[in-house]
Amino acid sequence: MRLSLAAAIYHGRVHRRLGLGPRSRLDMLRNLVTALVRHERIEAPWARADEMRFYAERLIDYGKRGDADEQAMRMADFWLTEKDLIHKLFKLLAPRFQSYSGNYTRLLQIPNRENLDRAKMAVIEYKGNPFPPLIVVHRDNEKTLLNQLLKGYREDILKTRATQVPEEAPASLYTGTAV
Amino acid sequence: MGRALDQVSGVLAAPALAVQTPATLLEPVEDIREECNEAPNFLDSIFWMAAPKKRRTIEVNRCRRRNPKKLIKVKTNIDICPECGNLKQKHVLCGYCYKKIKMETGLIRIQIKEKEAGPFNAPTVETVVLYEGEKPTEQDEGKRIIERNRKRPNWFTQN
Repeated sequence: MRLSLAAAIYHGRVHRRLGLGPRSRLDMLRNLVTALVRHERIEAPWARADEMRFYAERLIDYGKRGDADEQAMRMADFWLTEKDLIHKLFKLLAPRFQSYSGNYTRLLQIPNRENLDRAKMAVIEYKGNPFPPLIVVHRDNEKTLLNQLLKGYREDILKTRATQVPEEAPASLYTGTAV
Repeated sequence: MGRALDQVSGVLAAPALAVQTPATLLEPVEDIREECNEAPNFLDSIFWMAAPKKRRTIEVNRCRRRNPKKLIKVKTNIDICPECGNLKQKHVLCGYCYKKIKMETGLIRIQIKEKEAGPFNAPTVETVVLYEGEKPTEQDEGKRIIERNRKRPNWFTQN
């Protein structure tokens, strides 16, 4: 739930005011949703992307109902202005997200736009898209500097222990290994 | 001016001349003098303009200009990106890495455009991107294949 945003828009309202009015806001969001369904990853001002996210995920929920459903078809018809995307929604996106129960989109912030306005921008994408991933998860590698240094230190300790063992009595070795 | 002339003509040719003028023109001349007297008399008027009483000393000025509210805040949320080593904010994607990924997706989209060959031809099957020397696996059975003429970049893993 967007608790922080509700504080920014007074008295707990949920809709932002975008564009020239409520109808303009809906048209703008409709354009963005159509673009997202077509390209599966778009860049937009953060406020618009955040507002659009809810509608994009609701559209997938309608798509999951199947195209036989009258209500679902009317929703898809309204929200997708390019009619070949209705086929894409019902035949591609709905099966892809069958296993997910929510959170079909990912919203990430980007450095501010280069223009004079320095607007806060975000990239929004449907999960499971064919493009390169935006966040690359790296496992810790043996080849990292820290791991190599630790490995070297470990080898040094073993070497010094190996050289000290013939000099010292065997009893002290046992005490060493116990620690 | 016009008023004064009318007054003069009324006095000189007194009974014979009857001037048809509106009542406002026959007001006594004293009104003008009253207005001239009142103009500089600010003490009686309601409005009082604010002005500083004393010069603000440099100490007071410094206190106002340098208090923490007016200074630029120091940002503690700047980190180094582990991939490329450029600076990034903690909650924002690295600009360099994002640009790199954006260029690559742009090139992939050019290939998609060539394959679709026309507007409004969105496919109803999934898409897979294969680089040089890669064969489609069993997972890529019914998918549309987009080919790119370069080696697979190490930040784009195959699964």
